Amino acid sequence: MDKLTKVEFTNLDKILYPDVKLTKEKVIEHYIRMAPRMLEILKNRPTVLTRFPDGINKEGFYEKDMPLGTPSWVKTFREYSETARREINYIVCNDLDTLIWLANLAALEIHMTLSQIDAFDKPDLLAFDLDPQPPAGTDDAVHVALMLKEKLDELGLTPYVKTSGKRGLHILVPIVREYTFAQTREYVHEIARALAQESPIVVSEFSRSKKPGTVYVDYAQNSHGKTMVCPYSLRATSQATVSTPLHWSEVKKGLKPEKLTLSTVAKSKSNPWKGMLEERHRLEESVG
Amino acid sequence: MMEEEEPSGRVPKRPLWSGAVTIGLVNVPVKLYVMTFDKAFSFRFLHKQDGQPLKYQRVCVKDNRVVPWEDTTRGYEVRKNQFIMFDTKELDAARPQSSQKIRIDKFVDYFSIDPIYFEKSYILTPDKSSEAYSLLLTALQKTQKAGVGRITLRTKEYPILLHAYKDALVMTTLRYANEISDPTKFEELKQLKEPERKEVDLAIKIVKDLSGDFDITEYKDAYAERIRQLIAKKLKGETIVAEKPVKPEAKELMLALQETLKQLKK
Repeated sequence: MDKLTKVEFTNLDKILYPDVKLTKEKVIEHYIRMAPRMLEILKNRPTVLTRFPDGINKEGFYEKDMPLGTPSWVKTFREYSETARREINYIVCNDLDTLIWLANLAALEIHMTLSQIDAFDKPDLLAFDLDPQPPAGTDDAVHVALMLKEKLDELGLTPYVKTSGKRGLHILVPIVREYTFAQTREYVHEIARALAQESPIVVSEFSRSKKPGTVYVDYAQNSHGKTMVCPYSLRATSQATVSTPLHWSEVKKGLKPEKLTLSTVAKSKSNPWKGMLEERHRLEESVG
Repeated sequence: MMEEEEPSGRVPKRPLWSGAVTIGLVNVPVKLYVMTFDKAFSFRFLHKQDGQPLKYQRVCVKDNRVVPWEDTTRGYEVRKNQFIMFDTKELDAARPQSSQKIRIDKFVDYFSIDPIYFEKSYILTPDKSSEAYSLLLTALQKTQKAGVGRITLRTKEYPILLHAYKDALVMTTLRYANEISDPTKFEELKQLKEPERKEVDLAIKIVKDLSGDFDITEYKDAYAERIRQLIAKKLKGETIVAEKPVKPEAKELMLALQETLKQLKK
């Protein structure tokens, strides 16, 4: 039999999600099956991992720098990190083997940057992170997401939506790589402010972001080196939820992100984000 | 690997080193070949259940993670579990420079040197011209002397002996004095009883009766011989061929992989 992957699987029987009794083998299988849809987006983006080698009920750790023992065939991207005050070698997940290798490391959550390594200072995605504050929930996030879509449509942009894997929603817009993070951050913030004027449940300022019953539109992720959980990444939640891309028709009242899990997402063969990066937009001057 | 019977036939393909024996201002260009071989059988460790070879890995004692070579460095253990860490570059800087010379300092009576100091032997062959080589060899044979000097091989400096052996120059590396135990440090050896005259006479007689010429071929490695026979027997039967096993529990993954690879190829 031909060798299908360079990765040597280890501890496949290890239970990583004790509440739903999911083993590492299931986690690896999830990433293998999602790979064609994930790699399209992940390509050339530095990643940050959240690893749970002993399962989600034991302490996990956040890993920016490539781990010891990273095989030579894994692509990395070296950048000086201001916060870490040293050079970091980020893992760049450009192929199936790397993705499988990450899964085998129990990197349950894979976070990606909003820019690609060949123009790391120029974001190619706008990110809106809709974060409902209890008692606001997913229905409120859905409400704000639909308002936001209307606004973005008016601006001639094409938004893509996914669940965060928790209560919130993430909306991404592919853009041409001509703007700085300062510009995209300000652009996203401006749209958030416009939404906040239209609806009392929308919060656009960090200082009020924890206000109960509101939906905070987090614009701060539009920053150099900041990451967002990538599409189809698992989350370290008891039910093994997945940050799941959706068709806009699925974004409606009653959406249950907690039902989108490792066990259910694989059944859907459709790819709502197909061809997402093929059409990029310019940002208009005025948000209105 | 099966080894051939006779220990003599082996000629290494490439010299280990080439340079010159220097005696004062005289240079004798030579090539150096490994001369001694370990003929013992070597076995590999296999996994009992599936007969697959086992590999060694460097594992960090703290988190049990496998550490690649490039992430290793050297530490000197000062106290139990307390290390002084060295950069490879620091150690490299301290190492002697490999030189292309076997420097001879003086000549001594070959038979006056106890073999306890002998470490490993190398054959020297003439490089380019053989005149100087032949001259040095003849001089050593006629005087039964051996040159004492030093060589730097790879990164270590050795004291060496240069001597004649079967019409060839042979270099034998020597152990340093501090690498050998001193018999006078053993308590039991300090109070040896003086033997009786009669006993000594008898002992000398026995030694004389058993005297003969030294012939190393009278000695065979009986264990190696038995293992060789066992291998021959097993070769006729079944041997376990090393292969890359796919763990049965990974079947689902292999299936998923095949499907995904197909999709990715589209």
